[in-house]
Amino acid sequence: MSGYLEGVLVLLAVNVVFAYGGFLPLAAGQLNLGLAGFAAIGAYASAYLSNVFKLSPLIAIPFAGVVAGAVALIVAVPVLRTRGIYLALATFALGQIVQAIILNLEVVGGAAGYPVAAFIRLPTIAAAAAIVVALVWLLFATRFGIAVTAVHDDEGAADLMGIDVRAFQIAAFALGSAIAGIGGGLYAHHFSFIEAQYFNISLSITIVLYVLLGGTQTVIGPLLGAAVFTLLPEVLRASANWRYAAFAAALIVIMALRPEGLVTGAQLRRLLGSNRAEPRHRAVAAGLPKGGAG
Amino acid sequence: MTTADPILRLESLSKRFGGLRVIEDLSLAVRRGVRTALIGPNGAGKTTVFNLITGVFAVDAGRIVLDGADITATPSRRRIGHGIARSFQNIRLMPHLSTLENVMVGQHCRNRGLGGVLQPVNLVPHNRWREAARAALADAGLIEHERSTVGSLPYGVQKHIELVRALMAQPRLLLLDEPAAGLNPAETEALQAQLEKICSAGGPTLLLVEHDMHFIGALCEDVIVLDFGRKIAEGSPEDIRQNPLVQETYLGAPAVEPMERHSAARSA
Amino acid sequence: MLGSIYAMVAVALTLSIGVLRFLNFSIPGLFMIGGMVTWALVRGGTPWPLAAGAALIAGALASLVVERFTWRWMRSAQHFVPLVSSMAFLLLFEHLAVIYWGSELRTLPALFGTSDWRVAGLVISLPQLAGLLCSIALIWALTLVLARTRLGRGLRTIAEDSDTALLLGVDINRIVPLVFLISGLFAALAGVIFALNYRQVHPFMGEVVGLKGISAMIVGGMGNVWGSIAGGLIIGLVEVMSIGYFGADFVDIAVYGLLLLILFIRPTGLFAGAIVGQARA
Repeated sequence: MSGYLEGVLVLLAVNVVFAYGGFLPLAAGQLNLGLAGFAAIGAYASAYLSNVFKLSPLIAIPFAGVVAGAVALIVAVPVLRTRGIYLALATFALGQIVQAIILNLEVVGGAAGYPVAAFIRLPTIAAAAAIVVALVWLLFATRFGIAVTAVHDDEGAADLMGIDVRAFQIAAFALGSAIAGIGGGLYAHHFSFIEAQYFNISLSITIVLYVLLGGTQTVIGPLLGAAVFTLLPEVLRASANWRYAAFAAALIVIMALRPEGLVTGAQLRRLLGSNRAEPRHRAVAAGLPKGGAG
Repeated sequence: MTTADPILRLESLSKRFGGLRVIEDLSLAVRRGVRTALIGPNGAGKTTVFNLITGVFAVDAGRIVLDGADITATPSRRRIGHGIARSFQNIRLMPHLSTLENVMVGQHCRNRGLGGVLQPVNLVPHNRWREAARAALADAGLIEHERSTVGSLPYGVQKHIELVRALMAQPRLLLLDEPAAGLNPAETEALQAQLEKICSAGGPTLLLVEHDMHFIGALCEDVIVLDFGRKIAEGSPEDIRQNPLVQETYLGAPAVEPMERHSAARSA
Repeated sequence: MLGSIYAMVAVALTLSIGVLRFLNFSIPGLFMIGGMVTWALVRGGTPWPLAAGAALIAGALASLVVERFTWRWMRSAQHFVPLVSSMAFLLLFEHLAVIYWGSELRTLPALFGTSDWRVAGLVISLPQLAGLLCSIALIWALTLVLARTRLGRGLRTIAEDSDTALLLGVDINRIVPLVFLISGLFAALAGVIFALNYRQVHPFMGEVVGLKGISAMIVGGMGNVWGSIAGGLIIGLVEVMSIGYFGADFVDIAVYGLLLLILFIRPTGLFAGAIVGQARA
C-alpha cells in the first residue's frame, strides 16, 4: 500500500473516531464545542504515558480516553446545568482553557510541542476505529439509544416518561469526550508530534460540522460525514485550504437545503425495513382536523 | 363492583404563577376503578392539575397522595414509576423515533437500571420488550405503522400511539388530557370503547380532562367541575348536566355539537 | 484599549443575540476581514482612511452573505442550524483568507508615526486613544439609535417578541438584514482599528481576538449593549492583570476561566436586563 494511501486511510480512521466523539453529545441534543480540548487531553495523556512510562500505545490510548472521559464527567455536572447556547459556550470556553493550559505545561513541551516516541500503523488505527464504531452502534441498539433520542427530542416528555434526562446527558457528554480522547491518542501515536495549537476551536467546529453533514439521526451518519470530509477532497485533489473552504461552503448549502444531514432516520428505516411489513399508505393529515391542540 | 377507596387524593392544593393563583385550595379524590372526568371552562386550571399530579410543577401548598403514598415531593421522573402515566394536550411524541420506539419509551420506567438501559432491544430479533411493544401496537390495530415516522401519521393515529405509550408503563392511574379533541365521531366512539375496555376492573383508573360532554357522559361515572382553580361541583354526568351552578359557569351544554365545542373551548 | 475592541465585537454579537436570538459565530470572521482587507489595501499603497472604508464595506457585504445563508433559510429547522452555519462561515472566511493571502502573520507599517502623549507619567499612544474614542462614540451612537429612533424601537420590539413585532407592523424582513449589517460593521471596524493600532493581522486573528469578544458579551450580559461595553473593558482588564501577575501565557486561561465561571454562576451576565432584549437559551 502506498504511503499516500496509508496516510489518507489513517486520517479517515482518526476522523471517524472524532466524529463519534461529536456524535454522542449531539445525539442527546448538546453541542460540544470543546471536543478538541478532550482530544488534546487524550493525545497528551497517552503520549506522556507512552513516552515517560513506556506503556504500549495499546494501553496508553484507551487509558487516556478514560482520563478524558473522567475530566468530562467532572465538568459535566456544572456545565450541563446550562442549556442550549450557554452549554455550547461553556464547552467552547472549556476547550479554550484546556488548550491554554497545555500551552503552559512545560512537562509536555508547552508551546514547542511534544514529540511522541511510540508509533502505531494503519491496521491498529483502523481496528481501533472499527471497535469504536461497533461499540457506539451496539450502544445505540440498546434502550440507551432510545432514551438519548427521546432526551434530544423532548426533554420534558422524556422526563415524565421516567427517563433521567440529566444522567443521560452527562453519560453522552462523557462518553463522547472519552471517544474524542481516544481519537487524540491515535493521532498522537501516528503523527509522532502533537502541539496544542492543533487542538483549537477550528478543530472542534470542523468535527461538529462533518458530523452534522452526515446526519445525527442515525449511527451511520457520522461515519459518512467523516468519510465525505476526508475522502472527497482527496478524490478532487484539493489542497488543504481549498478542502476546508469547500467543505465549509458545502456545509452551508446543505444546512440550508437539508439540515438533517445526508442520512436521516426515516430513510434508514425505509432502507432496512424493505423486507418487513411496510405501511400500505403514508396517510396525509389533510382530511382530518388537526383539532384544538397544537 | 368498584371499591370506594381513593387511588388519588389532592389535599388543599395551591399553585400560583407570578401573581396569578391558578389553583386555589383544591381538594378532590379519584376513586379506584371509577372513570372520572375533570371539566371546567378555559383557564379553570385543568391541565395545571395534571401538571401538578405528574410533577411538572411543584405545588405551593397541599399534598398529593397516590394510593396512600405522599408523592408531593417526588421528582417528576419518578412518578411514572409510582404508577401515573399521562397523555398530552399537544401530542408529545418523539419525532426522531419510530412509532414502535416511541411506544417503547413508555416501558422505560420498568426498565430503568443499568441492566435495563443496556438491554439490546433493537439488536436481538425477539427481545421480549420489543415484542411486548409490538403486541400492544397490534392490539391497538396500529402495527402497520410500527416503523413509520410519527410526524407523518394522521392526528388521530398519533393520539392513539400516545395512549399506547402511556399504557406500556402499566400505570395504576391514567391521566388523559383531552383525548377526544380533534377526533371525528367514528374515532371518538372507538376511543370510548377502548377506554371502557382498558379502564375496567383490574386496569388503570382513568382520570381525563375533556370538553366533549357526550363522550364523558358515555364513558365516565364521576365528573368533577373546576372553575378558577377550585372545585365547584362533583357528581355523576347526569347530575352535573342538571347542576345550575355548572350550567352558569360552563357553557358546555349537551345540545351543542361536538365539533363546535372543540373550536369553542380550550382548556387552561 | 484592547478592551474597547473586545467591546465592539461583543456589541456586534450581542445585537445579533439580543434581537435575533442567534449566536453569530461568523462575527470573529468579519473581524478578521476588516483587519486583513485594511492591511491588504494599505500594503498596496491605498491611504489608510480609504482602506478602512473599503474594509468596512467588505465586512458589511460578507455579513449580508451570512444573513442570506443562515438566517433567511433556516429559521424553521433544528434549533442550532443557524449557529452551525455561522460556524461554517467562520471556517470559510478563514480558509479563503489563507488561500488568498497566505497564512503568515502580516504587519502594517506605522502609519501615525510615534505620536504619543505623555501625561502624568503615562504614555498614551494617540492612535490607540483615537481608536478607543471611536469605539466608544460608535457604541454610544448605537445605544442612541436603539433608544430613540424608529429603527431602534423596531429592533427592541423584535427582541422582546418577534410575533408581536409582526403584529405591530414591524417589517422583520427589512430589519433583519440591518441587524446583520450593523453587527458586521461593528465587527469589521473592530478589526480595522485593531489592524491600524496593533499593526498585526493574520487569517486566524478572529480566533485569537474575536472569540474573546464572546467572553466579553457573556460576562457583560447577553443582549445588553451597555453590558457588552462593560464586558469588553472587564476582559481587557483581566488580560492586563493576568499578564502582570501570572505572565502572558496565563491570559487565555484567565479570560476563558472567567467566562466559564460566569456561565456557571450567573449566565445572564453581570449586567443582565437589556437595552436590546433578554436573550433566552
